[in-house]
Amino acid sequence: MDTMLIYNVPMQETFGVWIAVYFYLTGLSAGSFILSTLRYVFGFEQFKPLAKPGVVLAALLLILAPMALLIHSGQPMRAWHLFVFINPSSPLSWGSFLLTIYPIISVIYGYFMFKENKKWAKIMGIIGIPSAIAVHGYTGFVLSVAKARALWATPIMPLLFLISAIISGIAMMMIVNVIQGYFFTKERKINTDLLFILGKMLIWIIIFDLFLVFCDIIAHYTGHKEGIEVVKHMFTGTFGFLFLFAEVLVGKVVPLVVFSVPKWRKTSIYLIMAIIIMIGIFIMRYNVVVGGEHIPIV
Amino acid sequence: MKKRYAIGIDLNKCIGCHTCEIVCKLENKVPISVWRIWIKEGLKGKYPLVRKVFLPVLCNHCENPTCVTVCPVKASIKREDGIVIVDPHRCIGCRYCMAACPYGMRHVNPLLGIVQKCDFCLHRIENNSKPACVASCPAKAFVFGDLNDKNSEIYKFVIENNISVLKEDTGNLPQAFYAGLDFTLADKKGMPE
Repeated sequence: MDTMLIYNVPMQETFGVWIAVYFYLTGLSAGSFILSTLRYVFGFEQFKPLAKPGVVLAALLLILAPMALLIHSGQPMRAWHLFVFINPSSPLSWGSFLLTIYPIISVIYGYFMFKENKKWAKIMGIIGIPSAIAVHGYTGFVLSVAKARALWATPIMPLLFLISAIISGIAMMMIVNVIQGYFFTKERKINTDLLFILGKMLIWIIIFDLFLVFCDIIAHYTGHKEGIEVVKHMFTGTFGFLFLFAEVLVGKVVPLVVFSVPKWRKTSIYLIMAIIIMIGIFIMRYNVVVGGEHIPIV
Repeated sequence: MKKRYAIGIDLNKCIGCHTCEIVCKLENKVPISVWRIWIKEGLKGKYPLVRKVFLPVLCNHCENPTCVTVCPVKASIKREDGIVIVDPHRCIGCRYCMAACPYGMRHVNPLLGIVQKCDFCLHRIENNSKPACVASCPAKAFVFGDLNDKNSEIYKFVIENNISVLKEDTGNLPQAFYAGLDFTLADKKGMPE
């Protein structure tokens, strides 16, 4: 049909880059918390060097994360409204409580860990794991409940967010491991065994993440017309480069290949890969948040 | 009886003059670059067989509004009479309602930092007047009234015309009814190729 649109009003930005930053920071926090519980809850002794920096970073990042929300908000002085006027059907309302409880739990957990009180550290860790999953999982619900945008409103979104959170958490722990070994030990020796174990963990988690992204794309492409629009937008539109090249190819496939080749087990290569993964996950958050709302709905 | 306000737009009468846009801005002091009602314009066909199509879009005041579901502080309210409003003293400006609205009909006020939207010109309705867009339309394409009142203009409009709504599949039950809607404009991006 010979049709064309000659006048429409452009959409205002809704969730901008600050929400992407916020999602990224909560993801890093949840990922590093889960890694720090590997020793004190699950008893894997080889992860001992990561336990303390993990919990410190988890608490710090989660104190930092709501700052991005305050910058984003139009009326930051009214943030107390979130705790007084509660709407149970809104994921943001759940989030205001999760964002309060989770840093407190991680601080208490960290306190017992630094006191070497293993019993209580384990108990607080067991309480902390579900709250870490909740504090990041709810951000997935924030997007999947907003039914206006086809890219966001998928049931897979909370799971996709959790898996990418764990990926970015592990990548951050690899960098922490290198810094810790190089600057904070007497022998200046990096714990390469731990580095390679983390790399091995990443292989499987990245494969799972790629599988989830694949499911999402396939379901969108064969779904309704807005889903098809989303796939076209993410593949050939403005976000084609960021999604296909930066997020999937460089951010996930390249590290996956590098980690699977035993010959390339070198500290420098692993460090570069960890930095690339962290940037890649940030681009993923940006693609989902900004890319999702970039598609016009009216 | 409880009121249930709704708006009807007869697109066969709309001449695309953009009066409703301007009047709405003046009446509600809407900031620059954002609109509470606007007219989408499209062009169909090739010379010599050409037709322009218009679609005024405004808040649908849904029966089942997404914005009210997702507002974390209950600042978006569905009133008893069917009008969806934002409480300006409670809104924290998180813009979640803007992200969730399938019609994209909300805007943020850059001066106040809060989200605002069409409220059917509440101050005018309370004085038994009609919304500014309805009162000002030179082609009389707009119909406004109480759907529960069987003698009202809007009730007659809904019964007498073949009506349709925008994005019926969202399940939001929008309350802006269109007569003579061209699907090419109702489409998300406007025009299918």
